[in-house]
Amino acid sequence: MPDVKPAMRVIYIPILLLFAAFLFLPLGMLFVRSFETADGINLSNYLTVLSNAELMKSFENSVKISGLTAVITTVLAFFLAYSIHCTRLYRPLKSVIKTGILIPMLLPTITFGFAIIYSFGNQGIITKIFGRNLFDIYGFNGLLIGYVIYTLPSAFLLINNSFKYMDKKFIIVSKLMGDGTIRSFLNTIIRPLSGTLGGAFVLSFILSFTDFGIPASVGGTYSVVATQLYQVMLGSIPDFNNGAVIAILMLIPVVFSVFLLNYLEKLNFHYDKFSDIELTQHKGRDICFGSISLLVLIGMFSVFAVMFIAPFLTSFPYDLSFTLKHFIDTFQSSDLTAVYKNSLFVALMTAVLGTFIAFSSAVLNVRTPLKGKSSMDVISMLTNTVPGMVLGLSYLLLFNGSSWKGTFAIIILCNMVHFFTTPYLMAKNSLSKMNPAWEITGILLGDSWIRTIYRVILPNSASTVIEMFSYYFINSMVTISGIIFLVTAQTTLVASKIKELQHFAKFNEIFILSLLIFFTNLIVKLLCDHYQKRQFKH
Amino acid sequence: MLKLQNISKQFDGKSVLDHINLEIKTGEIVSLLGPSGSGKTTLLHIILGLTGINHGKIIFNDTDLSNVPMKDRGFNIVFQDYALFPHLNAYENIVYGLRNRKGSVSKEELQEYIDFLELTPHLKKRISELSGGQKQRVSIARTLVMKPKILLLDEPLSALDGVIKESIKERIKSIAREFKLTTIIVTHDPEEALTMSDKILIINQGNISQFGSPQEIINQPANDFVKEFILKQLEIKRENIYNLFGEKYA
Repeated sequence: MPDVKPAMRVIYIPILLLFAAFLFLPLGMLFVRSFETADGINLSNYLTVLSNAELMKSFENSVKISGLTAVITTVLAFFLAYSIHCTRLYRPLKSVIKTGILIPMLLPTITFGFAIIYSFGNQGIITKIFGRNLFDIYGFNGLLIGYVIYTLPSAFLLINNSFKYMDKKFIIVSKLMGDGTIRSFLNTIIRPLSGTLGGAFVLSFILSFTDFGIPASVGGTYSVVATQLYQVMLGSIPDFNNGAVIAILMLIPVVFSVFLLNYLEKLNFHYDKFSDIELTQHKGRDICFGSISLLVLIGMFSVFAVMFIAPFLTSFPYDLSFTLKHFIDTFQSSDLTAVYKNSLFVALMTAVLGTFIAFSSAVLNVRTPLKGKSSMDVISMLTNTVPGMVLGLSYLLLFNGSSWKGTFAIIILCNMVHFFTTPYLMAKNSLSKMNPAWEITGILLGDSWIRTIYRVILPNSASTVIEMFSYYFINSMVTISGIIFLVTAQTTLVASKIKELQHFAKFNEIFILSLLIFFTNLIVKLLCDHYQKRQFKH
Repeated sequence: MLKLQNISKQFDGKSVLDHINLEIKTGEIVSLLGPSGSGKTTLLHIILGLTGINHGKIIFNDTDLSNVPMKDRGFNIVFQDYALFPHLNAYENIVYGLRNRKGSVSKEELQEYIDFLELTPHLKKRISELSGGQKQRVSIARTLVMKPKILLLDEPLSALDGVIKESIKERIKSIAREFKLTTIIVTHDPEEALTMSDKILIINQGNISQFGSPQEIINQPANDFVKEFILKQLEIKRENIYNLFGEKYA
C-alpha cells in the first residue's frame, strides 16, 4: 500500500464533510426535534404519539403485514432460486425466470398499487376475466400483493447469489452417503442457506415496513406507519415534532433488523472452492418447480399487464377501442414532459455524483492506509439502516427554513445518501480483489497516486462503475419514499407526480408516466449490461 | 555501490531486521536468501523505499538515500505476481511509464529491450493470454524501460514451472551483464540463489548469517544455520539427482 498522500486527504475530508452535513446533521436534527415542545425539551411528543390509538394500530398493522409479506416472499424467492440452481429445467426458461422476476425493480412502487387496482378492482381485468371480485383489494390484500411483488426481486437476488456460491457437490455426496430426500435437502440446501433465508426475510420485512408507494395507492383504510407519517407531516394539520417521533419509532425495528442481518451473516457458509456439477435426473422435481416458478411469474406479469394495455384503450374498461390519444395528450402536456425531464435530470445527477462518491469512498477504505478510513463502513451501515422516508423527513426538518428548500440539490443529495450502501459495497468488493501492488507499480513508473487511480484502478473497475451507475440511476427514477417530503411544484418528479394524479383519478396518465419510467430504466439497464459485458471481454 | 549501514527495522515493537551491514558493488547480482519470516522481503522493500527504517543508513554512490522517498530513489521492482495492468495489452504495459519520462528512452532503445526479452510476437496480446514466463518478461521490460539504477526482483522464479525456470535464470544473469545493472533478488530456494548470483546474503531471524560468493558458502559455511538449512537442502537434492542418474555422473 502506498503512503498517505495529500491527495488522499483532499478526497477524504470533503466526503466526510458531505456525510456530516447530509447524514449525521439531519438525523441529529430529527432526534432533537422529536423531543422539542412548546415548553422546552421533554418526552411529551413521545407520550402523545404512544397514546394515540390510531398510530399504535398502524404500527401493529405494519409489523403484521410486513412479517407476513416476508414469509411469503422468502418462500417464493427460495422456490425460484431453487428452480434455477437445483433442477434441470430447460435453460431458456431459467433465463426467463431470472430476468423476468427482476422487472418490478424498474417501476416505482406506487405504480404497483394502481396496477393491482386495475387488475383486481371492481372494473379490473382479472375481475372481468373471472366474472367476479376475487377479494377486496383495498387494504390488507392489496398491500400484501404489492409488498410481495416489490420485495420478491431483492429477496430472489440475495438467495440466488448464495446458491451460486454454494458447493453443489455436497448434494451428490449426501446421496452417496445414503441420505433420504428430506435429510439431504435439509443438510445440503437449507442448512447452508439458513443465513441467507433469514437475510431475505429481514430484507423483505424492512422493505415493506418502510415503503410508502404501495400503501399510498392501495392502502385504503388499512393504515400503516408510512402513510401515518405522511399524513402527520403533510396532512391538513402538519405536526413536525410528532412526525419526528414517528420517524424515530420507524427507525427502531429497522435498526433491530440490521443487527439481525449482521448476525445472520455469520450463519452463512463460506466455501473456498465450488465446482459445477451435473444434477441428477428427476422429472417430477423439474415439473413441480418449473410450474410453481412459472405460476409466480405469470401471476406477477398479469398484475402489470394492465399497465401496458389500459393506456392504449379509449376508456378502459368501458370503451375498449384502440387509441394513441392518451399518449399524444401526455406528450403534448408540457406539465408532464417537464416532470419527466426533472426525473431524468435527478436520476442522472444522482448516478454520476453518487457513483463518484461511493467509488472514492471505497478506494479510500480499501486501497489507502488513511487513519479512520473505516468510518466509511460506519457510514455505509448507517445509510443502509435509515429508511428513505426518515432521511427525507430529516432533510425537510433541517433545510425547511434555508435556501436549500425546494432545490434539486437536496433531492439529489438525499438519493445519493439513501442509496449509498449497495454501490459502495460493490466498489469495495471489486477493489479488494485487485492486485495490491498496482499503486506502488504506478508510482515506480512515475505516476502520482491520483494518476494511478485514474490510469489503472478506474479502468479495471469499469464494469463495477457501470453497475453502480445503473443501480443509482434506476433507484433514483423509481423512489418515492425518499423524495416525497422534498419535492415542490417546481421540482416534482414522475413518482411524486403519480401520487398527485391519483387525486384526479387520471389513471391513463399514471400508467403512461409509469411506462416512461419503465422504458427509461429498461434502456439504461440494457445499455449498462451491454457495456459491462464488453468490459468483461478484456 | 549500494551500502546498507546498521539497518534496523521494527514492526509494532517487534524486531524484524537487526543491524544489517552490507555492500553491493555495481553490476553485481545479489540474492537475499532465507526462510519465510526471516526479513528478506522487508529488506528488499527497505532498499526500494516502500518500507521505512528505524535505524541506519542507505547510501547509493555516496548519496544518503535514507530519507529519499521511493519514487525519487530511481530503483525499481518486479513483483512476485508481476502486478501487470490487465486492461492494457503487453505493449501498453511496457510503455506505461514512458509518458512520465519523455525522451529518456529512444524508439531504438525500446525495441532493443523488447528484442532482448523476445517479446515482439506477444506485444498485442492481452495479459490474460500470456504464459507465466511471458508475463514475467513483460513485467521486467516495463521496469527496464524506466532505466532503474538497481533492479529488485521478488521471488522471480516461484510462479514459474520447472522447464522455464532455468531459462529465466539465464535471462536474469544476462540482463545484469548486458545493462551493467545491480540486481537484488529475494528467494527462499538455496539452489536458485547459489546458481544465479555473484553474492548471497543469508538472513535468519532478522540477522545476517553469512554474506559471500556461492563458493564461500559451500566451502566455508559460517554457522550451523547455513549448514543445516542451506547446505543440507542442496546435499539432499544432489543425492536425489545422483540416485536418478547413477554415480557415474558424480
